[in-house]
Amino acid sequence: MPDFDTGHLFLTYLVPIRSDSPPSATAPSYVQRVRDALALFPTARQSPATVDAKYNSPFARNLRNHFVRIFVLDDVVYNGRVGQDAILATIKGINTIVPQEVDRLNAAYMVFAADIDAISKNGDPLPLHLSPAEQARVRRDYAHELWATMRQEMTDILRNCHGFDPEKITTADDFANYMAKCHVETTMPFHDYYLELPKFHLLPAKALLAVVAVPAVAGLIALVLWLFGFQHLPILGWGALATSIIAFVLTAIAAALSVKYAIANGEKPLAPGKYDDLPSVLKALYIQQSFADFVAMHQGVDDADLHKAFGQFLAAHKPAHVFGPTQPPGEISFAHSTQHTSGALS
Amino acid sequence: MTRELNLADIQGNVMRAYGRYSFPFARYFFFHFDTAKGGRAFVEAVRKQVTTAVRWNAQDKAAKDGRSTKADKPNCTVNIAFTFMGLWNLEVPVRTLQGMPDVFAEGMKSRAFVLGDRDPTVTEDDAEGWDKHWDAIWRANRKPGASGVDDVHAWISLNAQLKPGTTDVPHPDLDAKTEWLLSLCNEKSGVRLLARNGASGKEPFQGASAVFEDFGPLKLPTAKEHFGFTDGIGDPVFKGQFPPEQEAVAVIGRGKLMGNGWQPIETGEFILGHPDESQELPPTAEPPEFMNNGTFMAYRKLHENVGSFHEVIEEEAARYMKVMNVEKHEAVETLKAKMCGRWSDGVPLPVVPTYAEWIKFGTDKGWRGDNVDPVEAYKAQMAYIRSTEASDFRYADDMAGLKCPAGAHLRRVNTRDYLDPLNSFAVDPVTGKQPENPKATSALNKRRRILRRGLPYGPPDLDGKNDNTEQGVIMMILGSSLFRQFEFVQQQWIQYGLDFHQGNNTCPLLGSHDHHKRHTIPSNPANGKPPYVMTKLKTFVECRGGDYFFIPSMTALRMLAMGIVDPT
Repeated sequence: MPDFDTGHLFLTYLVPIRSDSPPSATAPSYVQRVRDALALFPTARQSPATVDAKYNSPFARNLRNHFVRIFVLDDVVYNGRVGQDAILATIKGINTIVPQEVDRLNAAYMVFAADIDAISKNGDPLPLHLSPAEQARVRRDYAHELWATMRQEMTDILRNCHGFDPEKITTADDFANYMAKCHVETTMPFHDYYLELPKFHLLPAKALLAVVAVPAVAGLIALVLWLFGFQHLPILGWGALATSIIAFVLTAIAAALSVKYAIANGEKPLAPGKYDDLPSVLKALYIQQSFADFVAMHQGVDDADLHKAFGQFLAAHKPAHVFGPTQPPGEISFAHSTQHTSGALS
Repeated sequence: MTRELNLADIQGNVMRAYGRYSFPFARYFFFHFDTAKGGRAFVEAVRKQVTTAVRWNAQDKAAKDGRSTKADKPNCTVNIAFTFMGLWNLEVPVRTLQGMPDVFAEGMKSRAFVLGDRDPTVTEDDAEGWDKHWDAIWRANRKPGASGVDDVHAWISLNAQLKPGTTDVPHPDLDAKTEWLLSLCNEKSGVRLLARNGASGKEPFQGASAVFEDFGPLKLPTAKEHFGFTDGIGDPVFKGQFPPEQEAVAVIGRGKLMGNGWQPIETGEFILGHPDESQELPPTAEPPEFMNNGTFMAYRKLHENVGSFHEVIEEEAARYMKVMNVEKHEAVETLKAKMCGRWSDGVPLPVVPTYAEWIKFGTDKGWRGDNVDPVEAYKAQMAYIRSTEASDFRYADDMAGLKCPAGAHLRRVNTRDYLDPLNSFAVDPVTGKQPENPKATSALNKRRRILRRGLPYGPPDLDGKNDNTEQGVIMMILGSSLFRQFEFVQQQWIQYGLDFHQGNNTCPLLGSHDHHKRHTIPSNPANGKPPYVMTKLKTFVECRGGDYFFIPSMTALRMLAMGIVDPT
């Protein structure tokens, strides 16, 4: 967490775009060139204008992308002067008439955001846990997959970015190394495929509260007794003040550990959902469409014929076989996709 | 503290669906302002005749107390509204106009893709000529490259009561008001009547009338539209619409559920200048008094393909009878009810889910049976659909749609408490029992409500109709935000099904079925029958034109007439 959750990687790469001068006075800026390259990207066959397009989105060429977005981040949004309590500012002697420094990005960035199956090989099951090193490995494998399927498109964009020399970055490893330098942690992943909610890592709030509250209450009682003149605790005979101090120290330690535990608990990745990998999602879409057709076409059919027809349905559509027949990525529906491809995934 | 609305400043059609207040006839006129001066003079002449929302004698208890809030019920009402281009041509300042919503400025035609009036599966280029079946007046309105010469600028509606002593003849004031309106348009007035209404493109106005049926010796106005469904039952109730004691009853089934029983919806959802359900004032242009107490309206002429509708029902019923092993009448009535969410007499499926119960219900209530007097039956049924019983139900206790299918028309246009994310979904495989979810709220529905106004159009009976005859519903949808309310409901809930777990399937009645022709009817496992999927739906309702209008307050009408809308 947060890059890794539910068997997926939620990736963010920030790639600085060259801010030096283009080679001539009429040449477009590098930011403009990145935007050009992006505008010329084929989009998926999922809108009236593109549903029958010759080329599909290059992101539809691999079986790991659930969602990918590339855009240019010109700068952080300037939200005005950072507010401060007026009394504090006066005490500190801050003159609010003097403008504050404005914090800005050092360059425009190409942002690459993606939700992918956290796997190294197509068909692998989604993992429950990945160490940071394993995550780096999956990112590297993903970079290899991108290089294999859309080297041209990525190069067209990245040639306008800092430190990307197409003459030098010529292998998948070079590309993976370059991207690794631009990787930043995703702070808020979002997953929305659950058929059944997973077992959440619920915080044992009452237990945590007790761990903190018990020494706190003991310390308080000892302190009150001490204030009322008891030098020693009744029955136990311990020194009241010393007991109070020790109890308060224990309270502080328990509180710190509880907070640490709560954060660690929050960071634990959730388990992958059932049928959460991209090939399964595509197969589900395919089965949904073909089964809806089957039901609609076989209403009122007698039992024997229905049984036979369903056998044929199972043989034709192979619900248990994830990789085919199925709906290819980047297509609005299986019916549309048959105009472009065979319907089987490699 | 509650604040009484200034009803004399709000136009009457905002507060009342006239059809429900014994006004079974309407005429809709459309005008073009050739000159701003002429336009303002026209507004000045009309505004003095405009019917406000002030309460009528019989309706207001205060009248008995001698307070001056009473007014006589008019024989014929007058209301007026403007398109964005109308306001532009009246020379409303640009600073005011640019504070109005972008969808209003663009107009309904440019939103055809969003609304599903234009096939959303093809690009604009490929859809060229998509409005060729629209009425001439609407084809010419906002026509690209035409410089706006035939743009619709103003809408005026006349709604008439029955002529005294008759049951199916309009009050003579309807003709008198028509004459008066036409007299305001001549060569010198700078205002043109756009007399290109109807499929023929030659009608001076768009007429509308309730559907009349014979009840024994009498021909009486019904609440039916041309498919035969009882319409206009569950309109929302908002704060200030009714006097408190009347509101307490009206709100049942028609307000919002927020954990505190049925409550009226905030006024600002429907009338600008008042707090809305997000606890804000809806955005308005400067000056505030120009839009306060006003609202927006989508005027839509919705043609009904009556021939296709009955053909499809016949065809589906033949299969349904076989699959479900039922008689034809049960098949036809059940399919219609499961598409609509109400039986044809307006009884809601969530209350009366099965055919047998429905037959018994009508008998118990006194409008079905061999020995029932037709006029008494008529009265009993009208009383029922005006009662809280016809509106008081929820969906959170029927997440699977065993009683009322999740994709039915009724569940789509007003989702009630169905979208509460904490609703649980489960069906007992033996008894069909579902969780009650009694704490469900309508939090995800109360910002998507619409006021429905209008009447059917076409011959005032149910006979001899096919797809090419001229009939349908003049639908006016009112609300503070066309974008958030009307367009959202139309695009996401009528023309799409994801919120109801229906995939791409559209509303079985109002949706476009050019591509998606299915409607799923879940089956209660207790009866041992499979679900039924209608697969042959055709597009039964299609838009034949219309536009977005702003309905100003009386204050704003005066400002428009005087030419003193001042945003500074």
